[in-house]
Amino acid sequence: MEKAVMVIGGGVAGIQASLDLADKGLIVHLVEKTPSIGGRMAQLDKTFPTNDCSICILAPKMADCFSHPNTNVITYSEVIGVEGSVGNFKVKVLKKARYVDESKCTGCGECLEKCPSKVVNDWEMGLTTRKAIYIPFMQAVPRVMTIDKEHCLKLTKDKCGNCMKACKRGAINYEMKDQVLEVEVAAIIVATGFDVWDPTPSTEYGYGRYPNVFTAMEYERMINAAGPTHGHIQRRSDKERPRKMAFIQCVGSRNPQVGHPYCCAVCCMHATKESMLAREHYDDIESTIFYKDMRACSKGFYEYVERAKRDYGVRYINSDATVQENADKHNPIVVYDVGGRQQSEEFDLVVLATTLVPKKETAELAKLLGLKVDEFGFLESSDRILGPGRTVKPGIYLAGYAAGPADIPESVAQGSSAAAKAVEAIAQAGG
Amino acid sequence: MAEASQAQWEPKIIGFLCNWCSYAGADLCGVSRYQYPTNVRAVRVMCSTRISPHLVLDILKAGADGVLLGGCHIGDCHYISGNYYTEKRVRLMKRLLEESGVEPERLRLEWVSASEGEKFSKIVTDFTEQVRKLGPSKVKKDEKLRSRVAAADDASETFRLKALVGRELNLVNKGNVYNNKLDPAELDRIIDSATEEEFERSLILELSMSKPRSVKELGEIMEVPTDKVLRHIVALRQKNMIAMEHPEGFTPTYKTIVIGGEQ
Amino acid sequence: MIHMAETKVNESEKPRIGVFVCSCGSNIGGFVDVPSVADYAKTLPDVVYATQNMYTCAEDGLSNIREAIRKHNLNRVIVASCTPRTHAPLFQATCESAGLNKYLFTFVNIREHCSWVHMKEKDLATKKSKDLIRMGVARARLLKPQEEAKVEVEPVGLVIGGGVSGMTAAASLADMGFPVHLVEREGDLGGFVKILNNLYVTEKSAAETIKPLIEKVTAHKNITLHLNSSVKSVEGFIGNYEVGIAPKGGEEKKYKVGTIVVATGALEFVPEGLYGYNQYPNVVTLTEFEILCRKKTLPKLKSVAFIQCVGSRGQKMSYCSRICCNVAIKNAINIADNYEDMLGVMEKQGTLVDKIPVEKKATEEILERRRRRRGRGTEGEGDAEEVKLGPSEKIEVTVFNRDVMAYGVEHELTYNKAREKRVKFNRYTLDHLPKVFMEDNQLKVTYFHETLKLERTMPVDMVVLSTPLVAQPDAGDLSKMLKVPLGQEGFFLEAHVKLRPVDFATDGIYVAGTCKGPADITEAVTQGAAAASRAATPMAKGYVQAEALSSVVDETKCTGCGTCIEVCPYGALRKNEKGIAEVIVAACKGCGCCGATCPEGAITMTNYTDAQLLAEAKAALQEEV
Ligand SMILES: Cc1cc2nc3c(=O)[nH]c(=O)nc-3n(C[C@H](O)[C@H](O)[C@H](O)COP(=O)(O)OP(=O)(O)OC[C@H]3O[C@@H](n4cnc5c(N)ncnc54)[C@H](O)[C@@H]3O)c2cc1C
Ligand SMILES: Cc1cc2nc3c(=O)[nH]c(=O)nc-3n(C[C@H](O)[C@H](O)[C@H](O)COP(=O)(O)OP(=O)(O)OC[C@H]3O[C@@H](n4cnc5c(N)ncnc54)[C@H](O)[C@@H]3O)c2cc1C
Ligand code: SF4
Ligand code: SF4
Ligand code: SF4
Ligand code: SF4
Ligand code: SF4
Ligand code: FES
Repeated sequence: MEKAVMVIGGGVAGIQASLDLADKGLIVHLVEKTPSIGGRMAQLDKTFPTNDCSICILAPKMADCFSHPNTNVITYSEVIGVEGSVGNFKVKVLKKARYVDESKCTGCGECLEKCPSKVVNDWEMGLTTRKAIYIPFMQAVPRVMTIDKEHCLKLTKDKCGNCMKACKRGAINYEMKDQVLEVEVAAIIVATGFDVWDPTPSTEYGYGRYPNVFTAMEYERMINAAGPTHGHIQRRSDKERPRKMAFIQCVGSRNPQVGHPYCCAVCCMHATKESMLAREHYDDIESTIFYKDMRACSKGFYEYVERAKRDYGVRYINSDATVQENADKHNPIVVYDVGGRQQSEEFDLVVLATTLVPKKETAELAKLLGLKVDEFGFLESSDRILGPGRTVKPGIYLAGYAAGPADIPESVAQGSSAAAKAVEAIAQAGG
Repeated sequence: MAEASQAQWEPKIIGFLCNWCSYAGADLCGVSRYQYPTNVRAVRVMCSTRISPHLVLDILKAGADGVLLGGCHIGDCHYISGNYYTEKRVRLMKRLLEESGVEPERLRLEWVSASEGEKFSKIVTDFTEQVRKLGPSKVKKDEKLRSRVAAADDASETFRLKALVGRELNLVNKGNVYNNKLDPAELDRIIDSATEEEFERSLILELSMSKPRSVKELGEIMEVPTDKVLRHIVALRQKNMIAMEHPEGFTPTYKTIVIGGEQ
Repeated sequence: MIHMAETKVNESEKPRIGVFVCSCGSNIGGFVDVPSVADYAKTLPDVVYATQNMYTCAEDGLSNIREAIRKHNLNRVIVASCTPRTHAPLFQATCESAGLNKYLFTFVNIREHCSWVHMKEKDLATKKSKDLIRMGVARARLLKPQEEAKVEVEPVGLVIGGGVSGMTAAASLADMGFPVHLVEREGDLGGFVKILNNLYVTEKSAAETIKPLIEKVTAHKNITLHLNSSVKSVEGFIGNYEVGIAPKGGEEKKYKVGTIVVATGALEFVPEGLYGYNQYPNVVTLTEFEILCRKKTLPKLKSVAFIQCVGSRGQKMSYCSRICCNVAIKNAINIADNYEDMLGVMEKQGTLVDKIPVEKKATEEILERRRRRRGRGTEGEGDAEEVKLGPSEKIEVTVFNRDVMAYGVEHELTYNKAREKRVKFNRYTLDHLPKVFMEDNQLKVTYFHETLKLERTMPVDMVVLSTPLVAQPDAGDLSKMLKVPLGQEGFFLEAHVKLRPVDFATDGIYVAGTCKGPADITEAVTQGAAAASRAATPMAKGYVQAEALSSVVDETKCTGCGTCIEVCPYGALRKNEKGIAEVIVAACKGCGCCGATCPEGAITMTNYTDAQLLAEAKAALQEEV
């Protein structure tokens, strides 16, 4: 009997877990909710503290993971039922209809051009649109199209059908139905990652009200050369590029009153990175970071911040901050205090480091799997000290941001660590 | 007439691109449909560090109008430190091109990451223009220049230059292991003077290959003072690379010793 | 699972090249005259078959390739389509399925590098496509079939260091079924944790907390413990290491292992000369403070000051030590909550502890000696008499910090809890470092009040200095023995900061815990298990297979100068017994650096020879024929 493991969530943590298992000869079923694996890391521009290009280092792993002879990557799918226990779980996976035959589509994109229906592009954080038939991003894996049934004219109003005509491969199938797959596995790894909290409710930051206030994730897409603005930093109000930028930290985090009391652990560093990248794009951009504590505490991080100050002229101000607006030019005004005195300063653009929260669905998934979540929705380990990643359910393990704030290297290490635990369990069960 | 052919002429540029960043950047450039002129023909290598001076100089000798080398940004090389060596080698290549009389601007090294598609198109556009301004390579038509490029190629293959450039990084960085860290500027100076010497010696060998030549003759062709030529000849004779032939009267001539069938 | 291609070509056989030009729908076909390109390909030397496909990568395209290989007896295949970076494996596998060695396949990119970037110049793009195919043909003619080297892997692990990370790695490998040697240079397992008081998020003592792990490791049938021992020598490469392990003063014995995990931990920085350490009584480091707590020998205190970042963040060491803020918070809360529990024998006399001696590493001895000096050498912990102080909230605890690294959920909540317990957090900057001094037999701390903009002085009974973790002083020896690099400040350097956090660049050796950089236990054991996973991979497979992309040394040309050995980033070259360079194929990644460097021109690269690269490049300079 072949031993198989299921990995839920195809971000960097899930990919790492899958590769570690597949390389050992185990069969891996990787279930990813969206049309492509890659997770949040695929959206980032560069990564701290090396400023490596994110997708460049991730894409080879995505391709490896997908084409590995021992992996079965099931995208656009969700786990809807689990039975059994360690050694033999029976998992039900709902594979949503993508209305495009994965085995026929070559990702050529001819269908896209003909599709009349434009939809807000979530993957680009809403900064641009995509078509109803789409591939989330250029380096998506698998490189096949998906039809968004909510916005497809054919599927909603039985009207268009352009993509079927355009597709020379005959890959489009409007009749496709959702499928339920049953998979037997010996162990399960959960790596469902995080979501970005929408800061609109925290009105003191003016997000949604002032056009030139952005979230960090929006900014990451904006500075990405393959992103909606081709790497140009642009104000929403007038498409001008900013010269003075402010980064505000702990937006909705470390705030027990409104938002979330915990620290997201990565935003101090990503703000530092983002301010450095701004300077790399235009050497006259001046960035200021308003922070509570500069949590630059992994290997090379403190030095990174020092470099930002020294070589990139980034200004760090230790203060809470809120945003108002100079309505004339839509310039955000940051109000802060230093040494007990309130001050304010006008900027061209503000980037908010918003809280990162566990995916909402993770709580439901936890219920299905019999796992515990903490009050914020992060999955809980049974032994916080010596057994991180183990859960109350033998045979189910955790990795990545879903189990608590973690940056990429930590997520990767947790992915490998969860893989080790799954192999241990299988070996112990008599493998 | 000359003008017409000038107008028709299109620069021929060879690109050597590393698999992991610059080739991937060129791929992304395509995916994003950034347009650029059609003059570059890319050869994929695993890492920019694979590109020895010989590859570049031989291609220029064969008549390429320009050579574009692409690698990962410093620190991003897939093979950790490969592109540090590329940088050092390119410096040597440029020095050798200067010595030989080929415009060093015909060679360009660029770091392009896998996400810099647009940058790749800009580089190709810009470099093509640069080469266009330099005009067609004169190597094919100008025999003297060709032998100088051949000499540069030979010089790049000499033990001294290869060992110096190969060890350069270690000498500068890991100096502390040997407890005498070398000042990079000092090392550059040493390499530059070695480059000049090795180039001149290779040129002597190149020129004296087809027929024996006197020191004076060599000095004139090479535009190098005769005493310097003589010093090189002494060194080459010690290494048994050149032989004195029939001293006619008082002027000895020298001929390159050819080993085996090679060159 | 891995299938070796049978080799169809005998090397002297004349090349018979097949060229498949792809239209990729209209992606190429729309901007390049594909039929004329395919026709042109037929005219090139050694090309015996050329055709065009709508989608070469689709199943019909692939079967076209397989059929043509059989029907035309092709021994080289060229596909001119998209990019090798995504599609080469597919076409290579197709060739192999038709019995053609995958190294005889050549990819020509006429989409990303041509049709998509020259969308408005069909003629020029067509010409460029022809040139690119001519280049591909020139290369293909010189290709040779390659065998991929397979190296057996000894399924035995070695873990160096018996702290929590090393124990976790060993236990994990052992649970997966691999025999493991665990080498610890001290007499006990447990590492740094065994001298600590409690650990954060639990009230249990540190020793109790890690006891189950120690017991598991000690009892595990797959683990061979080498206590009081160290690694003396390491020879070999992935799958085939021979390591010499010797007990203290004992004979070295050799063991064969396949993979190695380094988990040698770190030490605490000794703040010699900083903030009155070793100068005034009651100025102690965090570790010393924890020992005092554990031993229940705390003096009576009314006010305790923690000073953070002592010797870190640019003061002596450049880095932030990540754990000391949270350890200080833990201890601050301990003082607030459990102070009475930790009061000890000395309090009866109401005296302050005199200075704690400086050691390379704080150990039990510190306390033993101090007790002896006080003439109570034999008294045990149990003798501590209960001395009730007033309510513990009356003890004032101040943490002088630069930034509080309470990252994540747990730490931030604990930090909030500490503030609720009225622990004061006072920020200082490098411009105004706090000062510790003695005045009128009273220890005092002066600090700068940022809001009031003035200096203030407070009397304290004890100052705890939060000093960073520092690398083991002998990490360099291990680094040389294993040929793995040390990075910043003597910590081991992983292969890739982001994506390979527990690998070394050298295959077969992995790293976990604080020897890589400051980390707490949770992080260290995660890395331990991760390293175990990485180390288990080649052992589970039983072999490693190297892509035939490696350097080849020409023995007749190599003079043994060693330059290549110096430049190889993977330690994949060594001298053989003849003093000549030799490639460890299993370790070589094929970057080509050695080849470009070798002063004797003795090294070439399989599949990327000078001749192949030059032929390809020079073909571009020819005119279309
Ligand atoms: C603005 C910003 C910048 C950052 N910059 C950096 C940086 O420079 N360096 C760094 O180290 N870190 C950075 N990070 C952090 C980094 O993004 C995370 O550490 C990392 O992405 C975590 O990976 P993951 O795999 O745990 O989660 P994710 O990347 O979130 O992946 C989770 C995957 O699971 C899928 N999924 C979710 N729910 C389900 C379900 N129910 N069923 C199936 N699949 C599901 C998701 O679709 C997703 O593909 C940054 C974060 C932000 C917000
Ligand atoms: C004051 C203080 C308080 C702390 N409190 C907490 C806390 O509350 N919670 C928490 O999570 N973390 C805490 N930590 C951090 C914790 O101590 C470390 O995370 C943990 O010790 C790391 O474990 P390790 O196995 O990587 O290294 P170590 O524990 O240092 O173990 C390394 C082992 O390797 C051995 N060794 C070294 N070199 C060699 C060699 N050449 N050959 C053989 N063996 C060798 C050593 O003898 C040692 O046994 C604290 C640290 C300090 C300094
Ligand atoms: S669905 Fe058809 S047209 Fe669209 S990308 Fe796939 S193959 Fe091309
Ligand atoms: S059928 Fe739907 S997806 Fe296809 S082109 Fe029309 S709207 Fe777009
Ligand atoms: S990482 Fe920094 S910005 Fe993010 S929540 Fe923590 S302290 Fe705030
Ligand atoms: S005390 Fe805090 S900020 Fe200072 S080095 Fe330690 S963890 Fe970093
Ligand atoms: S090709 Fe690269 S990895 Fe291989 S031996 Fe040479 S330098 Fe080392
Ligand atoms: S791999 Fe790109 S330069 Fe080395």
